[in-house]
Amino acid sequence: MSTVLQEAPPRARSAWLDPRRTAPRRSLALCAVGAVTGLLFAGGALFTARGATTLIVPAEDVALVNGQPIARSDYVASLRALYDVDPAEATPEQKRKALDDLVAEELLVQRGKELDVAGADPDVRAATVNAVEQSVAADALSKAPAPSVLRAWYEAHRDRFADEGVITARDLVFPPAKAAAAARALRSGAPVATVLAQFGGHDTGRVKGQEFYFAARIHLGATLFEAARRTPAGQLSAPITQADGVHFVQVAANKPPAALPYEAALPAVRDDYTQEAVRRLQAQHRDFLRRRATVLVAPDLR
Amino acid sequence: MALAAVAALGAAGMGAGSAGERLVLADPDAPAPSGALGLFAHARGRALFHAKCAACHGGEGQGDPAAGAPDLTDHDWLYGSGKASEIETVIRHGIRAFAPKTWKLADMPAFGRARPSAGEAAPQLAPNEVSDVTEFLIALEKRPHDPAAAERGRTLYLGRGGCFDCHGADGRGDPGIGAPDLADNVWLFGHGRRDEIARSISDGRRGRCPAWADRLSSAEIREIAIYVRGLSASPAPRGSRP
Repeated sequence: MSTVLQEAPPRARSAWLDPRRTAPRRSLALCAVGAVTGLLFAGGALFTARGATTLIVPAEDVALVNGQPIARSDYVASLRALYDVDPAEATPEQKRKALDDLVAEELLVQRGKELDVAGADPDVRAATVNAVEQSVAADALSKAPAPSVLRAWYEAHRDRFADEGVITARDLVFPPAKAAAAARALRSGAPVATVLAQFGGHDTGRVKGQEFYFAARIHLGATLFEAARRTPAGQLSAPITQADGVHFVQVAANKPPAALPYEAALPAVRDDYTQEAVRRLQAQHRDFLRRRATVLVAPDLR
Repeated sequence: MALAAVAALGAAGMGAGSAGERLVLADPDAPAPSGALGLFAHARGRALFHAKCAACHGGEGQGDPAAGAPDLTDHDWLYGSGKASEIETVIRHGIRAFAPKTWKLADMPAFGRARPSAGEAAPQLAPNEVSDVTEFLIALEKRPHDPAAAERGRTLYLGRGGCFDCHGADGRGDPGIGAPDLADNVWLFGHGRRDEIARSISDGRRGRCPAWADRLSSAEIREIAIYVRGLSASPAPRGSRP
């Protein structure tokens, strides 16, 4: 009897340690260790993970106001705006003031939400609309388009990437009775001053020297500009009768708008592509909001 | 064995997290973090830069003058003075990035277009006036120029053109609004050729940089900022032009 009692403990130890033998107590112990480890990890994540805790201020923030974070970057920007100092140089009073201001602002924003300020104040509504539209547009910039995509965009919209035409012209006006003769004289190469003196004409002075097309259009008016635009360099336009007489536009130089080469147009191509992406994203976003909304329209407007 | 692996992974994750936290809590404008934290920030910043920024700024941060993406290695800072905190602000909020706090205080008007600026009153210039201002900018850099045209350009620059308002009377720019220094022989768009300068004046410029505040963590943004600051740490400034 005494011999059996003395040998029992070694058998129990070997059953616990021998993986080839079934040991219910070992299984239970390992399960417990696993459960405790899992709980430790879950608890740790719950209380330390970014955005999941209300007890710890994350490193990237300087405060939580009713759970709403105030970003450290905003705090640093506030210190710079208020005192033109970096955090390392700021006095405790300056730091306190910057933080207090940000906390007060956050509290007022939260109160504004409670009061639904955006529902009533047109300025806040406009700012809110703008902010939401902008936030949607931000996605258009987060991924740079591949060069092949930009090249294809350029090829498909070449007309958008043209330079402005340049024209050098004079607007000459003659009495209707002498206009035809004056035009013949000008086309034959007679000096302008001589022709003006001989046929009682004058230079209106609307265009002087080189002008971009848009400027010439403003200065000459649509009708005269169209006539000028179609006139090659060194020639006289067709006659255009207006209230003050018969006009001829004498064109010295005329360089119509021309598409820029891709390399020169690249910044504009990139910007145009981005703007189009922004428009598309914002339209999709509005459609999405509309689809998920319940909009009841008054009978007279249906 | 599995338990040990999980524990090791957890420890590694916590280690990365604490290094990130130390980085975020550190003064961004202090000298670059040394030792393990510095290596950690630089390595991660480089990887993030290649993933997020290199498409525009190039793999080595050399920029792209054709697209107007600034060279980040040349000591010539368009926004701010090259402090990590300023770089961080640009990364976080972007430039004209459709983000609430983005940097968009000024656009270069298109002086040779019917509507030079969407937001502000800006004058239209005639083609010869664009040429004159171009000549003035060439003169600012002490390159061979037509003195009479440059003088007319100076009058426009300081007068009706209103260029001085952003670029300064001396042409040294304003890093507070991203107005480039026009006298330093460093060009954001192109290489400083006359036709390139004239196109900038005629068509305007409006570079953009995305805002990463909602896409990257504060630690990641700090890591990129530290890496970018390191790109221009070499003492050899560029600026030569073909």
